[in-house]
Amino acid sequence: MTLLETRGLTVRFGGLVALDGVDLEVAEGETVGVIGPNGSGKTTLFNTLTGLYAPAAGAIAFRGRDLVGIEPHLIARLGIARTFQASRLCLGLSVFDNVLIGMHARRRTGLLDAVVRRPRLRAEIHEAIARASHFLGLFNADLVARGWERVGQLPQIDRRRVEICRALASVPQLLLLDEPSAGMNPEETAELMKDLQIVREEMPGLSIVIIEHDMFVIEGVSRRVAAFNYGRKIAEGPFAAVAAHEEVREAYLGKEGVRA
Amino acid sequence: MILVLASEAVLFVLAVAGILAERPLPLAATGGVLAALALLLRFSPKLRGALVGAFTAHRTGALAGAAVFAVLLPFALRASPYWTFVATLALLYVTIGQGLNFQIGTAGLINLAGAAFAGLGGYTVGLLTVTGGWPAWLALPLGPVVAVAVGASLFVPILKTRGHYLALVTIAFVFIFNILMNNFEFTGGPQGIKNIPTLQVFGYAFTTRLTLFGVALPAHANFYFAALVVAGLTTAVIRRLHDSWLGLALNTLRDDEIAAKCSGVSITRAKLTAFSVGNFFIGLGGAFYALMVGFISPPDFDFGYSLIMLSVIIIGGVDSIPGVVLGACLLLPLPERFRFLHEYRLLLYGVVILVMLLYRPQGLWPAAVRRYR
Repeated sequence: MTLLETRGLTVRFGGLVALDGVDLEVAEGETVGVIGPNGSGKTTLFNTLTGLYAPAAGAIAFRGRDLVGIEPHLIARLGIARTFQASRLCLGLSVFDNVLIGMHARRRTGLLDAVVRRPRLRAEIHEAIARASHFLGLFNADLVARGWERVGQLPQIDRRRVEICRALASVPQLLLLDEPSAGMNPEETAELMKDLQIVREEMPGLSIVIIEHDMFVIEGVSRRVAAFNYGRKIAEGPFAAVAAHEEVREAYLGKEGVRA
Repeated sequence: MILVLASEAVLFVLAVAGILAERPLPLAATGGVLAALALLLRFSPKLRGALVGAFTAHRTGALAGAAVFAVLLPFALRASPYWTFVATLALLYVTIGQGLNFQIGTAGLINLAGAAFAGLGGYTVGLLTVTGGWPAWLALPLGPVVAVAVGASLFVPILKTRGHYLALVTIAFVFIFNILMNNFEFTGGPQGIKNIPTLQVFGYAFTTRLTLFGVALPAHANFYFAALVVAGLTTAVIRRLHDSWLGLALNTLRDDEIAAKCSGVSITRAKLTAFSVGNFFIGLGGAFYALMVGFISPPDFDFGYSLIMLSVIIIGGVDSIPGVVLGACLLLPLPERFRFLHEYRLLLYGVVILVMLLYRPQGLWPAAVRRYR
């Protein structure tokens, strides 16, 4: 079943066409890799899907619903969660706080519970902390023990895990990962691939779109790959086929490089 | 538990001694003891650890003890109506500071119009009682309501601005408010509103001299106890809101608006809630002030008071709820104690803000991690 479908998605910044008529389909439970050189429109695609940018033309259908013109926080509530290329955690807040914000939209208690009927809020938060601990514990038991510490005190790889947990906490149907291995060394990247495997096993129905520059990660986690250049989708298919695609090789290596 | 109460008692005795010491020698002695204790704490990690452990273990006991000492304060100050008044003023700044800190510290909404929102509360009470003939107790809750309503309408242009621009819009609002109050006929212009009737609850006027347990207290003690209840309730409500989903959402959008949006937080709604909650308590403080003093005029709510409110937050600790209490209790009485400083009050506040921002930006009592208690 198709979960997400874009048709002719186009985004312009003044004269620059950042996305040019992109058609993309993501099925339920599928992992799709997105590759392309810097500035090819990958992150713009994510920002448009999550409502941060308004498309100039085209349509986005998510579970049969048009997402164009819907505000970001409502899109998040519809079931699209994401991480960011440069971490967007709140470093001064605790690990639990950073995960709990993902559950904010699903809260059942309001201001009255917070002030007057306090036990209701406490019970719900208790439950939320347990769920956050579950997600954090999938990746690293140590993270649960450090749950009340500020995120700024964690190493890079654990911060990335907290960010993934924040996205998972909202129980999304579509998870967008924007270059999760950015700034990581090879060992950390190997750890990250294990983490993505864990996510896959834990939530088999979850669809994932992952932007990556690290081809080992892309090859390891995604069955299908879409390649972008200058805002256009230039190739799509299994990793081996896309990697061998002439236009993709040109985009990465230049015309000279391909000939050599 | 004994350690907790003993240290609170020592602090109470020192504070009272510092306030009541008229001559330089006892004053210097009190200051010396305070400084010695501070140094002892600074260089003895063992003692510090023991105190922190005791206060964490007996949180409720510590709060109850602090409440008891707060109730005892007017008895210790019974000889001086003036100091009872100053203590009451500090409590009003706790109320106002909690409201403002919820906007500035928790939500990152730099509101420099604290004085204007307090003024809205004060003028509402003044107009309703003097011009409208309402009883004071009925007018009191309407002050904060007007502050919230005006704040919400001001919020529409504010929503489009962020960071420094928001600060500029609110600065403009304080000046507009002052010019309007100075020029409107119905607000009394520069003369303000005189003879605001005092609070009367069940026929008991707040200007009667209070005798409790056989001890005669100055009339201002009535307001002191009322302000204590208001400040305590405000602090409890703000703390509960801060340690809830709302506080979490506000902290998140303060640190990273895009992350908050993409986690499903409605920025508009959260900001409007924070702004309104804050203005309610700021307006409440202003309304109470009008009833206590009985006279208000535009200079009572000018930009300088916005800065005093801001310094309470910066000294205590941005986003820190106990910090606001500490900040108000330090910042208001100190210039009164050293009268020679009084002339240079605003200068003093400016220097204090500068030193704090340079050397201890997290404040004297930094915000702790949210534990949802």
